[in-house]
Amino acid sequence: MDSLKKKKTINPIAIVFLAILGVFAILQLFNKPLEGKPVAKKIEAPREVLAILENSCFNCHSNQQNLSWYDKIVPISWAVNKDVKRAREVLNFSEWNYSAGENQGKMYAILNMMQSGKMPLHNYTLLHPSAKITTKDVETIKKYTLSLSSVAPAKKELKNIHQNIESQENNRTSKFPVSPNGVKYTDDYKSWKVISMSTLFDNSIRVIYGNDIAVKAIETEDFHPWPNGSVVVKSVWKQEKLSDGEVRAGEFINAQFMVKDSKKYTDTEGWGFAKFSGKDLHPTGKTASFAKESCIACHRQLAEKTGYLFDVPMKVNTERLIKNLQK
Amino acid sequence: MKKILFIILSICAIFTACKIDEPDKDLKRIVFDPGNLKFISTSLNTTKETSSALYGNQEALQSLQNETHHPKPNSELKLVTWKYHANPQYIGGTITGELLSVETIKTDKTGKIFYQIQNSSETENFQSNKEERIKYIMGYKPVVRP
Repeated sequence: MDSLKKKKTINPIAIVFLAILGVFAILQLFNKPLEGKPVAKKIEAPREVLAILENSCFNCHSNQQNLSWYDKIVPISWAVNKDVKRAREVLNFSEWNYSAGENQGKMYAILNMMQSGKMPLHNYTLLHPSAKITTKDVETIKKYTLSLSSVAPAKKELKNIHQNIESQENNRTSKFPVSPNGVKYTDDYKSWKVISMSTLFDNSIRVIYGNDIAVKAIETEDFHPWPNGSVVVKSVWKQEKLSDGEVRAGEFINAQFMVKDSKKYTDTEGWGFAKFSGKDLHPTGKTASFAKESCIACHRQLAEKTGYLFDVPMKVNTERLIKNLQK
Repeated sequence: MKKILFIILSICAIFTACKIDEPDKDLKRIVFDPGNLKFISTSLNTTKETSSALYGNQEALQSLQNETHHPKPNSELKLVTWKYHANPQYIGGTITGELLSVETIKTDKTGKIFYQIQNSSETENFQSNKEERIKYIMGYKPVVRP
């Protein structure tokens, strides 16, 4: 009698389990394999660097997938296909049509992702432990990336990730251009407070301004998340060296905007990205979703602690000091 | 047995009871308030690892645009200098950190120049030559922002 009861209680679970298995088996029959793409132009790098990239990154960030059998099984395959698609959009080692400067910017982004432990993704290395990178691997990537600075061509050709995204020439000569995602250029930032100053790859000098909402958020450390209406603008210039070695802001490169609107920019952590380059301030991006494929990848992984915004002032000063100095 | 348990609990207590005060308790993220002055220019000193922002009023801006190296009457300028660091969030970049000094130049309506420097640390007193510093600050060119 007892055993009979037991059987009855087990049965439904087993049935549900078998049913799920059955559903997955059927779905497996209709499972669309990952879209194959040819290798257009593979990244060129020293052998030891390529070996690391091929082992730890290529499975998602290239057209040369070498997936395990279990990656092709539903429901794992759904997650894998989604990840690969997104990964290829952001960085694809098989479509490496970049100039020396762009290559340098990309390598710095890769180095930063690896060093911070953000890439390869943790849930990927759980299933693919051989893809884990060691500190020695990071050192190899770092050594190569730093070597790019010295061999990089004249400063004029040097670009970074914020300078290389394909730009769309804006035929309108409007003083206030609009980015494809709706972020409008405004001159207002010229009278905002400077929140920080930075440099990148020894070739650009940057000043970052914040509107009142952003400044208040910084001062009260209230940026998880940043309040809607926060706007941060970064002016970027080429570095110009004076005879005494001091560096000044030379030719204007671009003005980069980040506008917080959590309802409008749901794909990019609530931030609307825009970049207006050159004298005509032509906006970057061909479609409204351009930032989803470029900007947000780094901001999401490396600047999460500061609400996806880089260059938030460091927490290194005392209030007493600033009060004394601002007298 | 009780003794062992007591010892174990005591050891645990040692590790849990003392909580070191957060080292950054008094530290803040600050944004310099230039009052009614506006940002005009910036510089980087890679030897001293400092970065400066120059602010000024309309008269100061005009003085620098004219490259006369002399402030017009009623000018006000502030050169704010920060120590910079390797960017903790991005290898390959630097970012401003500690505020080091604020230098102020003011002229009255007759054009008489006043200069003042405030340092963040009282012990570290810049032996700055007033005339030199005025000449240096008045040598800045406004940045280009289309």
